[in-house]
Amino acid sequence: MLSIKNLKASIEDGTQILKGINLEVKPGEVHAIMGPNGSGKSTLSKVIAGHPAYHVDGGSVELDGKNLLEMEINERANSGLFISTQYPTEIPGVNNVEFLKMALNSKRAFLGQPEMSDEDFKKLCEEKMSLLEMDERYRERGVNDGMSGGEKKRNEILQMAILDPKVSFLDETDSGLDIDALRIVANGINHIMSPEKAVILVTHYQRLLDYIKPTYVHVLRHGKIILSGGPELALKLEDQGYDWIEEAK
Amino acid sequence: MNAEFIQNLPTAEQAIARLRELGMPRRNNELWSFFPVAKIPTPEFMGTDFATAPTTTPAAAPAHSSSDEAVQKESDFAALLPIANQARPMIREIVAGAAEMAMLKCNNDFGHTVLDIGKGAKVSLEILDNKVTHDIAAERFDINVGENADVEIFFANPACDLPLRFRHFNINQAAGANVRFSSICKDTAIGRVSVECHLKGEGANFDYRSLHILDGEASQHSRLTIYHEAPRTVSTQLARNLLSGSARVSYDGSVIVGYDCTGVNSSQLVNTILMSEDASVSVKPVLKIYHDDVECTHGNTVGELDAEQMFYLVSRGIPKKSAQEMLMRSFAQETFLPLPDSPAKKRLMSSL
Repeated sequence: MLSIKNLKASIEDGTQILKGINLEVKPGEVHAIMGPNGSGKSTLSKVIAGHPAYHVDGGSVELDGKNLLEMEINERANSGLFISTQYPTEIPGVNNVEFLKMALNSKRAFLGQPEMSDEDFKKLCEEKMSLLEMDERYRERGVNDGMSGGEKKRNEILQMAILDPKVSFLDETDSGLDIDALRIVANGINHIMSPEKAVILVTHYQRLLDYIKPTYVHVLRHGKIILSGGPELALKLEDQGYDWIEEAK
Repeated sequence: MNAEFIQNLPTAEQAIARLRELGMPRRNNELWSFFPVAKIPTPEFMGTDFATAPTTTPAAAPAHSSSDEAVQKESDFAALLPIANQARPMIREIVAGAAEMAMLKCNNDFGHTVLDIGKGAKVSLEILDNKVTHDIAAERFDINVGENADVEIFFANPACDLPLRFRHFNINQAAGANVRFSSICKDTAIGRVSVECHLKGEGANFDYRSLHILDGEASQHSRLTIYHEAPRTVSTQLARNLLSGSARVSYDGSVIVGYDCTGVNSSQLVNTILMSEDASVSVKPVLKIYHDDVECTHGNTVGELDAEQMFYLVSRGIPKKSAQEMLMRSFAQETFLPLPDSPAKKRLMSSL
């Protein structure tokens, strides 16, 4: 499904942040990426999405055999990639629902499907908003405009639910969520997840993984994945931190 | 009808005389600093010699009446031009307490509209483009707003390719009068909107919002002068520009706060998004404040579409062009969002 091979990327001043990432994600899997601050976790998501602030120095990222790095940003999304960043951007004046409808119909156009009718879109929205226990106010608001951290994260998962991507890369989706919101968001992700899809979670804490069981846990440090394991690895990291990994080497 | 207001309007003869006195607009005249003055044809009544050698001696007769005195205070070429060109004034009184919606459209190249709005009246006034036959059009609006009247003046016409258009507004507001002036301009040639607003009564409020969406060689200019002549008067200016191609906009806004005008609140903000290398904007705020207890602010921003917002939209699968259009539309709509629900707001928003 998603195959990242020897991915290297740098920022404008030439500093290399990703120094050879390798990651294979298969349908039905949940991968958790953990690591200290500044290790390159957020950069990884942005590079895959095609953020213009990063330059790819080498490697490949393939989704179902197609090289994402050769695609335009919107084509990557329409091919089935969904990236939720740590700090979702506020766009005052662009209505949340109109934005969602435009995004969904852009994907449908890309896939050669007809536009979704207003009525069907309304039903889809209602269903997904109900799943995430979102109230009607979200419809009237600008995209992430004036929302709290938790509201923004919930709004991101609403987008994910509506766009129905093959692979979702969720960067610190649990940050800014209170206990109830964490449960609701995690339930939403579990509901959206299916054997045909995959999720990559970036997180600092085990608490999200209590709700969403990872297939694999990876440790990203200094721009490389230095250790991979099962769900037990997250528990060990929560207990002992990251230094023991370097010391063991 | 406010007799003094009507009597002080210049006659055609007075306007011609005053224009001869003022001469053709020149770049060194602060009213015309940014305007491509070379594009203004010399009016026939001025004579061809006048264009190259403006007189320094007033051609007008010595002042005998209040009208003569009033015309001597007129200094804007664009304000005098329609009257000097024999525009027949359309004079209309809206009586106290009335509620009216109206659309105004001049039938000639030169138009002059005079409105006397009574106390407590509620008026919605849309200005439509006139049908013109020549290369220049000039309209003048003299609007007297009575105590506690509530008036909205707006225009959002389809793009017009008239080579040269002037629109001048002279607005007087009595105590407690509210005027909301809102406009959208998508014209493709040269134009200038000038507004002179006198806040004469305590608590009068003038709200100005303009949006220019220009492309190609369009060159549009705004000139505002707001006189706070009474305590606790309020003025708000918000001008937004979305400029592509070689489009050019200038905003020249002056606020004058008089003596003893305590508690005045005035703000001016100009936001411009340049969509191309060759588009340009010039902004000149002027504040003349003759009282201490006032709050007057001005600001100006020039930039491009927000790169992070663009990335966010495109990363959700929206094509770049559509994402740009969404951001431009939101930037444009925000200009008018704070307006109360009204015919003006409905018309302005629907035209975006």
